[in-house]
Amino acid sequence: MGNLVDPADITPRQVANKSDKKALLDAIRMTLSVQSSAVRRNTQTFNRNRYAATALLPDYDELKDRARLIKEQAIANSPELLRQLEAAVRANGGHFYLAKTATDADRYIRDVLLRHEAKLVVKGKSITSEEIKLNHALEAAGITVAETDLAEFILQVADEQPSHIIAPALHYSRERITALFKRKFTTDLPLDTGEELTVFAREKLRQQFIAADAGISGANLIAADSGSLMLVESEGNIRMTMTLPPLHIALAGIEKVVPSRTDFGTFIELLPRSGTGQPLTSYVSILHPPLKAPSFAAPGKTAKPREFHLVLIDNGRSRMREDPILHEALYCIRCSACLNSCANFEAVGGHAFGGETYSGGIGGSWEAGTGTLMNARFSELCTGCSRCVTQCPVRIDIPWLNENLRQRMNALQPESGVKSAFGAVTGSAPEDRIAPLQKQFFANYHVMAKEATRFSSLSNAVTGLPFVRGLMENFVGLDRRRKLPPFPSKTWEQLHRDQPGDRARSTNPGLPHVLMFADVFTNYGSPERGMAAMRMLRAAGVNVELSPSLPDGRAALSQGMIATASQQANGLAKTLLPYLEKGTVICVLEPSVLAMFRSDYEHLLDATTWEKFARASFLDPLQLVLSVAKERGTDLSQIFRAGKSPHGTLVFYHSHCQQRSCDAAWQTIEILRSCGFDVVTSSVECCGMAGSFGYKRDYYELSMAVGEDLFAQVRAAEQEGGQRTLVASGTSCHEQLWAGMGREVLHPVEVLVSTLD
Amino acid sequence: MQPAMAQSSLVEEFTAAAIQAVATVQVIDRSPANLCAAILQAVGDASRILYAPPQELPASLFSEFAADPRVRADATPEEVVNTAAGVTEAFAAVASTGSVCIDVSFERTGIVSLMAPLQVAVVAAENIVPQPRDLFRADVLDGRGLKRDFVFVTGPSATADMGPLVRGVHGPHKLHIIVLR
Repeated sequence: MGNLVDPADITPRQVANKSDKKALLDAIRMTLSVQSSAVRRNTQTFNRNRYAATALLPDYDELKDRARLIKEQAIANSPELLRQLEAAVRANGGHFYLAKTATDADRYIRDVLLRHEAKLVVKGKSITSEEIKLNHALEAAGITVAETDLAEFILQVADEQPSHIIAPALHYSRERITALFKRKFTTDLPLDTGEELTVFAREKLRQQFIAADAGISGANLIAADSGSLMLVESEGNIRMTMTLPPLHIALAGIEKVVPSRTDFGTFIELLPRSGTGQPLTSYVSILHPPLKAPSFAAPGKTAKPREFHLVLIDNGRSRMREDPILHEALYCIRCSACLNSCANFEAVGGHAFGGETYSGGIGGSWEAGTGTLMNARFSELCTGCSRCVTQCPVRIDIPWLNENLRQRMNALQPESGVKSAFGAVTGSAPEDRIAPLQKQFFANYHVMAKEATRFSSLSNAVTGLPFVRGLMENFVGLDRRRKLPPFPSKTWEQLHRDQPGDRARSTNPGLPHVLMFADVFTNYGSPERGMAAMRMLRAAGVNVELSPSLPDGRAALSQGMIATASQQANGLAKTLLPYLEKGTVICVLEPSVLAMFRSDYEHLLDATTWEKFARASFLDPLQLVLSVAKERGTDLSQIFRAGKSPHGTLVFYHSHCQQRSCDAAWQTIEILRSCGFDVVTSSVECCGMAGSFGYKRDYYELSMAVGEDLFAQVRAAEQEGGQRTLVASGTSCHEQLWAGMGREVLHPVEVLVSTLD
Repeated sequence: MQPAMAQSSLVEEFTAAAIQAVATVQVIDRSPANLCAAILQAVGDASRILYAPPQELPASLFSEFAADPRVRADATPEEVVNTAAGVTEAFAAVASTGSVCIDVSFERTGIVSLMAPLQVAVVAAENIVPQPRDLFRADVLDGRGLKRDFVFVTGPSATADMGPLVRGVHGPHKLHIIVLR
């Protein structure tokens, strides 16, 4: 990796198109070095505000269901809605144009402006106009375009692409804006505060508002029944764009059309709260243009009659609509919740985790849908942590979209004998043997782990050798800076089998009986944790039996090897079905596997089998203990007494991203506290390890940068009250905390078991 | 709950939410004299006041205010861009968000509520609805929200694009709301 360009010298435009892998890696280096602190501060503020604002909506979940339904029906009926909308716009006295492609839309808008002899156009924020590169087309025709949203203004001055769907310049700190403006403008103003910068830009733009011949806006939603638009903003520039000039052109994708203006009632509650986290932004305009009020004549001029054009663009959306996977992306209302709730996005922003226009978790589908598949390469940065799924106001399964993009990108790889032989040996499904070696390695890690565990002392010695790590780095891209956790000498299954029979199999007929699922991560990675979980359950009065250890498909799914994941899921389902049919509760220690059973399997199993999974109870061990204790009136603090723990009573607990998405984390905190532990919790969305992600050489720095937020929270907690025992629920979180803090990390079950005699 | 009580709790909720959104709120008993005094107090020593006459509230309510020599109901473009305050009615307001709904389809309302640094909005207490979604119901305020061109205005214009949060961008820097009991 010699001859590296200084990351500060890389410009965002150079790395906007990421169809080349090098652009993605350069973009990560550039953003981590130049933009990360501003992106973190701004996205994390949005993120906190959104949690607070949505918590105040008593019917948040019902609103999301309704929004989802409206969008599903709107996309299904799209052709009919477009016909209705066209009639409504014309009846209002406006013009309607449906553009097939980006150039078609550019040409239409340019021609309208030329017909009006427009010299100066003011633009409100429109990401869609970035998609069709409208400014270039207009400037080429001699029309001056003034971006009036302050973020778009900054980007226009800097010649950069947006880094965020609703705050396109959120990667700029105040200091960097000052430096940019001083470089680009001659002014006596100091420009050293947010106020001064705002005053400077406002004065400049106000002249342009007054002089403008035309205004171009986007639209957040469009109602087919009345031709009404909904536009959400805070600065007032969109209102000016639509109110002052006589000619108004609104530009939007065809997916923005909903059946009726009454539907706005659902989205107005969700969109601002999900975006900036405000109950409403300063201005939400509801208009069915052309406005009846006269336009504004600049001093000395006479007012012209108003004219309105609604330009809708297809540009790949009809193809997305026919796509069994990508059609879900059309439900997106562009609120940015999936960006702000994403730990990787918070660290790098949309100049790395994004393409030429669209960014974040949903961005890959949009870049692929409106451009070409390889433009979606940045969607590799989606780790499938699922935090965005719980935050999306239209419940889009964003990780599933990204796993499919990954599968499609895998399929574009050249075939090779090595890959296909490796795949055959390790168990990749035939159609996945085209995937890169690295992906097949991580997808089938359990096969390697099984062998490594059989000869653990040899494996540990060998994988400790620098030249072996070098080989692993070169062949499968496993970063040599990552310490590998040692392979145990016995698996969970073996330890369980080796126990005295009365302990392993003793059951008390009066007690509830559960099946503990022996996930491969615990089985081959930390069997003693699995044993502790079973001991905890027995101590809490639950009979527990251990399943055979089988791969669940999580690792394969995360590599976009969906056929392999499906093969593993279906194999596992055969083993679990008899239990599910009896109504046995299944206890799952590893949260990423719990999430598979609870939701991802919907995509991997046939409908009848999924039905049975959907009806079954899959519980995190502490969630199970808490519900049993509540049902039976057991006082857990009499069983697990914090004072008896050799680890002390002060703990720092980091719950797993997917555990939180499964609503299975608060139970751990409640139990630990009720048993007398003093618990400080993390508030990060994800630790940054995310299974294999943090092991990959390409993403090691990003993974550690994300982890740094978590490590900083540990340090802050310990600065106040001394060292705390580190506790985490996920295998990956353990590895990340271990790497970052350099000390032992326990699972909550180990903490509880440590209090027993 | 009595309708009157329900209305007074909506006024309270509205006031708290509007203040949260950095607007100022004044609740007055409705009379031409009270309204005139409240508006003139809000605009302070502004040398000129833009004014869009009401379409919903009785014009007589504004008569005393409109008689003030500084008030311009027919400002020239030069005056529009150089005036410190703009006064309009709001046909509705939203309790949960502290928003006022300004109809922008009438003559100058859109411009008067947008161009001046201080925006003053006058709303009748009985037109406060609980939530934004209520403006999209046929059975609320006679379905006016479904027919009109209007803007939910929540606090003054603002941006976080220049780093810290700045209030007062392209739109008004301050929003003062007068609620008529």
